[in-house]
Amino acid sequence: MPRLLLLLPSTTYRTTAFVEAARRIGADLTVASERPSTLEAANPAGLLTLDFQHPERAADEAQVFARQHPIDAVVGVDDDSAVVAAAVAERLRLKGNPLAAAVAARDKHRQRQLLAAAKVPVPGFALHQIAEDPRARATQIVYPCVLKPLRLSASRGVIRADDPTAFVAAHARLSSILAGCDTEFLVEDFVPGYEVALEGLLVNRRLHVLALFDKPDPLDGPFFEETIYVTPSSAPAGLQKAIAECAERAARALGLVEGPVHAELRYNERGPWLIELAARPIGGRCSAVLRFGERASLEELILRHALGMPIPSLTPEAVAAGVMMIPIPGAGVLQEVRGVVESKAVPLVEDVQITAHPGERLVPFPEGSRYPGFIFARGPTPSAVEEALRAAHQRLNFVLETP
Amino acid sequence: MTQGELRVTAEPVDNHRCKFVVSQPLHAAGVRRFASAAEAKGSPLAEAIFAIPAGGVTEVIVSGNIVTVVKDNPAPWQAVGKAVGVAIRAAAASGAPAVATKTAPPAGGGAVDDDALYERVARLFDEQVNPMVARHGGRVELIDVQDAVVMLRMGGGCQGCGMADVTLRQGIEGMLSQHIPEVRGIVDITDHTSGANPYFQASKK
Repeated sequence: MPRLLLLLPSTTYRTTAFVEAARRIGADLTVASERPSTLEAANPAGLLTLDFQHPERAADEAQVFARQHPIDAVVGVDDDSAVVAAAVAERLRLKGNPLAAAVAARDKHRQRQLLAAAKVPVPGFALHQIAEDPRARATQIVYPCVLKPLRLSASRGVIRADDPTAFVAAHARLSSILAGCDTEFLVEDFVPGYEVALEGLLVNRRLHVLALFDKPDPLDGPFFEETIYVTPSSAPAGLQKAIAECAERAARALGLVEGPVHAELRYNERGPWLIELAARPIGGRCSAVLRFGERASLEELILRHALGMPIPSLTPEAVAAGVMMIPIPGAGVLQEVRGVVESKAVPLVEDVQITAHPGERLVPFPEGSRYPGFIFARGPTPSAVEEALRAAHQRLNFVLETP
Repeated sequence: MTQGELRVTAEPVDNHRCKFVVSQPLHAAGVRRFASAAEAKGSPLAEAIFAIPAGGVTEVIVSGNIVTVVKDNPAPWQAVGKAVGVAIRAAAASGAPAVATKTAPPAGGGAVDDDALYERVARLFDEQVNPMVARHGGRVELIDVQDAVVMLRMGGGCQGCGMADVTLRQGIEGMLSQHIPEVRGIVDITDHTSGANPYFQASKK
């Protein structure tokens, strides 16, 4: 059996989906994480610890491991592990992205520089130091703008400012969020328009669009908490083609060649704009809404592609599907969630997964970014799915102990 | 608790396996696993689940307040899950035992001696697995062995842990296949949503 090295950060939501996909396709699995499993000594071929913060060092460690347990493919599942996967792939000469490309996709400033140079439409941007005097800087900014961390995910720390006063306030919040982890941030032009998310798979530089999600809730700030994703998109076919072309040009500009991509784009009267592109699959548990061919999961496609196994189909099921990342209901300690049964009983709703646990402190955006759960629905039309997701959400009641 | 207040929460693992967590125990006396409709005879809940039309149910495991259902058709749990919920509610409402107590196998019969396997698995858990997972505040409880399938429950730091599946599949399953190759499978009957202190908590997008 081919051996797959799966890079799973200890904080990922995607463990079960990827581990089960590896079992289904019959791969010999080694799971590497940045923190050791307590059972590593009992299964040295199946469990490994790699330094995810230092990709080259991780590649060294993987190379040593591979001498005893030859590796046929390496797959990362999130922003950080995608970079490590590229480093390992380069070192072991496996299918994957060049390390420089993965690094560029990970760094929002480097990404924008490359995209702008390749004339991919991106918002105007500038790199700033968090230590700068925000009052002085606020007078030089074009409004509305968006302050954005370089490396945080899930829209954490992303804040819109419409005037100098809002900029100074946003800067203070961002400083607090970035304290100790970064000294720089981006200021981007705010691009008005509709937002979509594109899920794709690069096969030898060619982008195969697996799904295009509409985001029916406007993302106009001041914070950018995701809520509903629904596919297929209701955008006109010509616009969808332009969106896909924009994402493919972006992937090419970054130098990405193989594996999953997840892109966030906006469109308005001037066409599509690339907001972000990541060399990883869709986050959270959202991939559960996607099924291909004979009900293969997104993870199965990704693993088959990495291992060079045949992929039966890249065509998604011909039904509408959607997911709601349940909005953080407020600040406080979660006591219980009521109405889950009623929520699941809503027609077209497939599942309601509460991922926050009792006693967990919920932190709203922009400081927080952990959704308390996910709602999944499938139905005849995108609008019916969206309606079901909203109805299911209305039945949930998060009981918080507030400070 | 009245019947109207009975809550059933489905936790699909994938399209083939789903745990149903019930707000009251259905079978307090250990674990029962049913690998066919014939085995389910005499246990009304399991019989009803196997009888779900086009359900493709191949296995039912009942432990305390958790019912694990395995099916061989890849359809999502939406339809079958609702039928399982109906069966659970009906079984709870009937007042009769939802599941018959396990009868001892005839002496000397059967290819697999589950009792002997239980002893060996329990020793492996005590001597190797639990000392290891205890370093993350976790514990793994052997619930039962039926037809050489091990049923376990995770607790402490393992319950609700983002890496619980890695512990299960890459750790415990590997140790079982290495030390006790007669074991045919492993079923986690943990209610992971109730884990109040998971060692690793999913937080990234």
